[in-house]
Amino acid sequence: MKRWEVWAEKLRRAGSLMREFYIAPHRGVVARAKRDEDDLFMLLVFSEMMGIPNPASYYTLEVLPLLYEGFHEWHIRMGMERSPLDHFKCC
Amino acid sequence: MKALAVRGRRILFVGGKGGVGKTTTASSLALQAAEAGKRVLLVSTDPAHSLGDLFDTRIGNRPRRLHPNLDALEIDPEDEVNRYLAGVESTMRGFVHPEMYSEIERQMALTRHSPGAAEAALMERMARIMGEAEGDYDQVVFDTAPTGHTLRLLTLPEIMTAWMDGLLKSRDRSESFGRAVRRLTGDPAGEGALSGATSQAAASEEEKGRSADELSWFQQAEEGPSDPRARRIRELLMARRRIFSGARRLLLDPKVTAFVMVLVPEKLPVLETEKAIAVLREHRVPIAGLVVNRVLPEEPLGEFLESRRAQEAEYLNRIDRIFSQYVRIRVPLLRRDVQGMESLREVARHLPIVD
Repeated sequence: MKRWEVWAEKLRRAGSLMREFYIAPHRGVVARAKRDEDDLFMLLVFSEMMGIPNPASYYTLEVLPLLYEGFHEWHIRMGMERSPLDHFKCC
Repeated sequence: MKALAVRGRRILFVGGKGGVGKTTTASSLALQAAEAGKRVLLVSTDPAHSLGDLFDTRIGNRPRRLHPNLDALEIDPEDEVNRYLAGVESTMRGFVHPEMYSEIERQMALTRHSPGAAEAALMERMARIMGEAEGDYDQVVFDTAPTGHTLRLLTLPEIMTAWMDGLLKSRDRSESFGRAVRRLTGDPAGEGALSGATSQAAASEEEKGRSADELSWFQQAEEGPSDPRARRIRELLMARRRIFSGARRLLLDPKVTAFVMVLVPEKLPVLETEKAIAVLREHRVPIAGLVVNRVLPEEPLGEFLESRRAQEAEYLNRIDRIFSQYVRIRVPLLRRDVQGMESLREVARHLPIVD
């Protein structure tokens, strides 16, 4: 490997480190914002089961199967150690 | 001669207190339009259906031909709930791990028996009929359940549209954050990534500001969610929103929809009609007029009925006074029960309609 190629490689690596250094915090912020939004959506759809009236609960029933996957992580993140639903025990 | 201006309307609602003759009025209006050459669908929404009894035949959840131009159906909410749950179940099989089936099945069983389910299913079916009937029928006549129920139907599309908008916006924000994360994760050429993310955030900020009734921006999400679940959720919510906002638009369009209130000249029906009309006006639902049913005929009736007539006159006066701004058609009490096509034609003679 020629000497300038070695330097070029080092520079590239330094560049991507710098990029990561500056971008990572932003990525974290945006990813958290997305998760908050998803959590809110979850709350809106599951609200009826937790005693918060949801005028659309019958109509949103059809999206539940698409959300169950993330349900466990969600209630943990919401600070509920056990599933808050009597009829939905995921843990 | 006074007449109800309903002939050109695609959607007709007939409402009023229980027992005042909604089914008779709706059927008579429908038969009249059918015999004038229009293709008409008569729909009963009252859980205690009596349409079939009136026509002396069995009418079910599917349109049934009663006359060359007249079909009728009685919405069966339970049947609707079952069909809906079957659909949910098939989504479940596609997306949920088999271990969780039993949990979702339990959830569905709860829904099946929840008090709101039948009503929600009924409303959805009505909204769908309103949207879909156009090609097959010139007019749909809804024989509605007693007043309270009908008024809820009028407010529901508004609430549901707002609710679905809220959910869709939440999905929308989540997706635009997701896109931003993907851009920040990928290793595209240099600094473009970060500035791309900021403009994305700015775009979503702008989206929030736009009017809630605008559907376009939901659809133009350039990339759309990449996750098949997220995509499916969006599709389901969009489809719901479309049904409800479509129903709402039709309901409030005076060129499309007309509401006919039926009452009898007695105290309680007059009071209830007054309240119902206030709500209809509040929601700006077009009112075509009132049918004052079972008015005592103009012939000597004997002492007992003459004293009834004196009381009736007070209520008729009251009706003319309170509802002076609406067309009021009086239909006399007939000699016999209204039963079958012939007697419906007799009612129709007292119930003229115009465009």
